[in-house]
Amino acid sequence: MKYLRLVLRSFLRSKRRTVLTILSITVSVALIAILQSILATLNAFANNPDASNRIVVRHKVSITNLLPTRYADWLRQQPEVESVMGLQWFQGVYIDRSNFFPNFASEAEFVNTVFKEEIVEYSDAQFREFLRDRNGALVGKNLADKYGWKLGDVVSLKSELFPITVRLTIRCIFRSKRPADELALHFNYKLLEEGVSYMKGRVGTFFVRVHRADDVPKLIERIDRHFHDAVEPTYSETENAFQLEFLKMMGNYSAIIQMITGAVLVAILIVTANTMAMAIRERTTEISVLRAIGFRTSQILAMLMGEGILLSVLGGAGGLAIAWLLAGAVRGYVGTFLPYLQNFHIDAGTMSLCFHATLAVGTLSTFIPAYRAARRPIVDGLRSL
Amino acid sequence: MSGEPIIRLRGLAKSYYRESLEIPVLQGIDLEIPAGGYYALMGPSGSGKTTLLNLIAGIDRPTGGELEVCGHTLNGLDDDELAAWRSTYVGFIFQNYNLVPVLTAFENVELPLLLTPMSRRARREKVEEALAHVGLTEWMEHYPRQLSGGQEQRVAVARAIVGDPELLVADEPTGALDHKNAEEIMALMEGLNRDLGKTIVMVTHDPKAAHHARHQIHLEKGVLDRTIEVNR
Ligand SMILES: Nc1ncnc2c1ncn2[C@@H]1O[C@H](COP(=O)(O)OP(=O)(O)O)[C@@H](O)[C@H]1O
Ligand SMILES: [Mg+2]
Repeated sequence: MKYLRLVLRSFLRSKRRTVLTILSITVSVALIAILQSILATLNAFANNPDASNRIVVRHKVSITNLLPTRYADWLRQQPEVESVMGLQWFQGVYIDRSNFFPNFASEAEFVNTVFKEEIVEYSDAQFREFLRDRNGALVGKNLADKYGWKLGDVVSLKSELFPITVRLTIRCIFRSKRPADELALHFNYKLLEEGVSYMKGRVGTFFVRVHRADDVPKLIERIDRHFHDAVEPTYSETENAFQLEFLKMMGNYSAIIQMITGAVLVAILIVTANTMAMAIRERTTEISVLRAIGFRTSQILAMLMGEGILLSVLGGAGGLAIAWLLAGAVRGYVGTFLPYLQNFHIDAGTMSLCFHATLAVGTLSTFIPAYRAARRPIVDGLRSL
Repeated sequence: MSGEPIIRLRGLAKSYYRESLEIPVLQGIDLEIPAGGYYALMGPSGSGKTTLLNLIAGIDRPTGGELEVCGHTLNGLDDDELAAWRSTYVGFIFQNYNLVPVLTAFENVELPLLLTPMSRRARREKVEEALAHVGLTEWMEHYPRQLSGGQEQRVAVARAIVGDPELLVADEPTGALDHKNAEEIMALMEGLNRDLGKTIVMVTHDPKAAHHARHQIHLEKGVLDRTIEVNR
């Protein structure tokens, strides 16, 4: 393409301005890429295909109200059901609050069937040890590595929800498919029942695993109908819906992220438009000369557009590169207090969004000044000396 | 030396409009310029010289009359056709040289050839030939800011002739140059007319420059005053 050199030379005409504009796009796109990837990562939790055959049953009033443990008996009798486990969010603190990781009081004997996709690799011998020891803990490999826990180590968790501290012995270490799933800790539900009198025979949620995902909707309906007139009515939903609700408790992060993304895009649109308007205005005479020589309006327009798009796409590529470099830091640092972000990475959707957004910024910011310059009467441009 | 008319203007008129007020600049110009002619367009400032030259060169459009240049009636061409026509038939030389600052002398001269299907190699040959013609072979890789005004104008002349157009238009080509450089450019243009047979229309109000042309056309308030032959 013989005009490419012309585009490149014009592009580098004012190196400082070009570099500054690219840098501001780079920083902005890096920010957008990270925010959007956070959003995508969080949404993936509420869109987990492995959870498609799991239902979460909780109290109809709220997640903090408790259900009788015996509800599990009825649930287990349903033909669609493969396995049921009572699970209580314990919110135990290890040493101090900054060491956050999800920990649960679970009906231990069901944990590896209900969470078959999460608790993937472990030794059967270790798992039996976990079941045998009332104070036993089942922990993800990631979590064990993070604190240097080994089998037999004793770990104290002080609950922020219940007036109890549990002393647990690490009995089984498991591996998962996703690193975030390896941050969980499960211990025997009986420990909670014994330590907290009002928890006797009561639990926050049931995780119900059905054989076929297709049965989920009608089972949800049947469960809630069955307990409709009970003293403690239930509210059932898919695990993904439950996760989403849980995430929403952090605030409407999705709307905030989209708003910031929009604002940043508008900002880079303005910066790029300003740069291109300046770059084109100072070349008015030159454009007229090229047209006098015989360059067509469309060719001039294409060259100017090429310049604007090159500017924004380079900035966008730089932004993605920086975001990619920062992704490790986000996983390692933010991921420690927001375990959801253990899976953080710049996903394909975000890359595509950033690419198209910068392409659009380049096009929108350049088109109007370029179109006007390319169509301006030649003689006007030649006179404005 | 004078052949068939290459430029034929009939009742050519151009007005500008400012807030619906008509400002006539050229009024009923009739003019014929033969192929191979060298015409100096003279007249006081504001008399319409540049306007007339721009019309002949097809970078402006008349508001009346007919305009036939290099065998084409320009009135009937659309913008793209006119652009293609210019790239084939017209070479431009401006008072301010108007080189592209980010391109080398070589690349500036190459610009008109980018519009042709010529190969890279063929373009290189043509450009080198044109630069040799204006005596700037050594300066090919220099940028405009590294050249003197005289050299810049010679690059502009090379750019004007590289595509081998029939017609050269020049608007005050020596206006920004000192005496010595002006003389050099005039000698160069005289050679282009005499040796290469280019038809040249040159706007100037410098009598010394006009003396290099073969004919002088005088414009006075938008009408042709007189045409005289230059005796040498
Ligand atoms: N774009 C324009 N709008 C209005 N008036 C113009 C425009 N261009 C030229 N003129 C007027 O036309 C007249 C002739 O201009 P020009 O052809 O440049 O004269 P010259 O080259 O002989 O000095 C001048 O009075 C000038 O002000
Ligand atoms: Mg003039």
